[in-house]
Amino acid sequence: MNVPLGAYEGIVGPAVLRGLRQLGEKLAGTRVVHVNSTREGGGVAEILEWMTPIMRELGLNASWEVINGTPRFFEITKAIHNGLQGAHVDIPVKGWKTYEDVNARNFKRLRPILEAADIVFIHDPQPAHLLRLCTRRKGKWIWRAHIDISRPFRPVWKVLRSLVEPFDASIFSMPQFAQPLPHPQFLVPPSIDPLSEKNRDLPAAELEAVQTQYGLDPSRPLLVQISRFDRFKDPVGVVAAYRMVRKVAPVQLVLAGGGATDDPEGKAVLEDVLEAAGNDPDVHVLLLPPDSHKTVNALQRMATIILQKSTREGFGLTVTEGMWKGKPVIGGDVGGIRLQVVNHHTGFLVNTPEGAAHRIRFLLHHQEGIDRMGTTAREFVRENFLLTRHIREYLTLMLVTLHSDRGNLVEV
Amino acid sequence: MTPFEVKDCALLARMSGLPPAINLRELRDRIAVCGENVLFHHFCETTLRGTFDNPDYRNDFAVWSKLYLGDRVLAERLGILDPYEFPSLGELRAATLEVIDERLGESTTIPWARPGDEIYFMEATTVVFDTGIRISHPGEFAAAIGSMTGGSVYYHFLEARRRSPFGRDDFTAWLLENDEGGKNRPYIEALARIDFYFHTLHHLRKELIKVLSALEDTK
Repeated sequence: MNVPLGAYEGIVGPAVLRGLRQLGEKLAGTRVVHVNSTREGGGVAEILEWMTPIMRELGLNASWEVINGTPRFFEITKAIHNGLQGAHVDIPVKGWKTYEDVNARNFKRLRPILEAADIVFIHDPQPAHLLRLCTRRKGKWIWRAHIDISRPFRPVWKVLRSLVEPFDASIFSMPQFAQPLPHPQFLVPPSIDPLSEKNRDLPAAELEAVQTQYGLDPSRPLLVQISRFDRFKDPVGVVAAYRMVRKVAPVQLVLAGGGATDDPEGKAVLEDVLEAAGNDPDVHVLLLPPDSHKTVNALQRMATIILQKSTREGFGLTVTEGMWKGKPVIGGDVGGIRLQVVNHHTGFLVNTPEGAAHRIRFLLHHQEGIDRMGTTAREFVRENFLLTRHIREYLTLMLVTLHSDRGNLVEV
Repeated sequence: MTPFEVKDCALLARMSGLPPAINLRELRDRIAVCGENVLFHHFCETTLRGTFDNPDYRNDFAVWSKLYLGDRVLAERLGILDPYEFPSLGELRAATLEVIDERLGESTTIPWARPGDEIYFMEATTVVFDTGIRISHPGEFAAAIGSMTGGSVYYHFLEARRRSPFGRDDFTAWLLENDEGGKNRPYIEALARIDFYFHTLHHLRKELIKVLSALEDTK
């Protein structure tokens, strides 16, 4: 996807784009290299897919490099990833050796571009070892942690920490996700692309097609939770909340997500959800393939209320997506949901199925509240969680990192 | 007369390097040693974050005390602190510590938050943009402020007080610089009367437009 920056002017206004262009002028010609471990699939690749061309459009000499790995390498990095998120994983010395060897092979290929770069962004743990190998680097290296490492499994973090400490700076999505490190730690929350398949406006015909496909009744309220079938997303709790509301209001529920087929835990959760749903024709449990962006978009747009009743959550981009579609969100009082859902303004924070049911019933009786909160939610996302804010923060931190003498005020 | 240059700004937040606090004693200890930028961030830059009508308090310490320590008395006492009333951030720090020490003295147990509800200490870099907009007459201020972003209002009316001349907003500084024969006095006095700290940026902009438009209407 290569959407020119100008396409966002109607959404964020000319002042925002003018600010980005001013920042771009200050950084014109800066050689920026992003390195991650996959070209397709996953949130990091999605970000780099739009960020690299926009940086180029703004005058930076930006490129995106992907390290190649063996299946064993990706098994090891998956274990590292899980370890950083707190799972007790066993990574043998041989496993770390594989990690280092694959990084070394990739370094041979990437050496010229990494040595010449003014700024290198290393995304997540997979390519983090490259810094140690690049002894002739002349630029600044920044480690971007996209995951929550607030409570890592210590043996894994101990090794990774030794790799990321020498970086010039790191970036975390929220303060809660960070670990103490001996360099500046910037905070850059994620964002959504309002023109992507998952978020762009959809014509009525496309909404109707999804409505028909899943047998949804447009005359009755619709509750939607989009998320993986994962216990921390509490889908069974959502069904319980729905049951409490269903006694008094003719609501329908959609629980849609992916990730259950290759994940034994996900499969078990899906089975629990199906059992909780029983044969209720108004509960739609949809196992969607990973590329169902348009279907997700349509379901969020058809929703009366968006739910994200997580008991543990990272940032919660599905909340951002729902808010961008002008819907109030009833979300779990955890993680990044707290940054987005503000009681009575953009939705409600809840702790139990009972709490969720209570707020759903309240909103169903107050259509004007649904409209008002939905409008506020969309504006809140426009101000804070669109990709233009995300790129502005990357450009600013590049300026700050390249010119560390600029202090706390940077004039562009 | 040099025209007034309208700027816009945004923040880039970063961790301060201090560990998070989970109880009131730790909050006190962190505030005692944190950098002035950290204090400024949690007292003043909060205004630039997404805010809503009628937020309870304007500084993060008061909000945390209410929501996560469950101490409404402390929240009220911290919430009334107006950072712009103090001649320096050092004096703001001393006043904040005084409030916390008083509360610790009154409490039989130290109020604490649940794990996961800690307060994190941050600071920010302000990045300033030139909007290209210029104002050349005081009578143009009301209309220009009406089309300014929240970032512009914050930068010129709040953040400016931290820059030299300390404690003065940019509008007033420009009006004073160009005050031939005292003709800008009514504008300067009107701006000085605004009780700005407890406004959201949205309301502050409305208030600025109201007082400045009223001057034009009386002409």
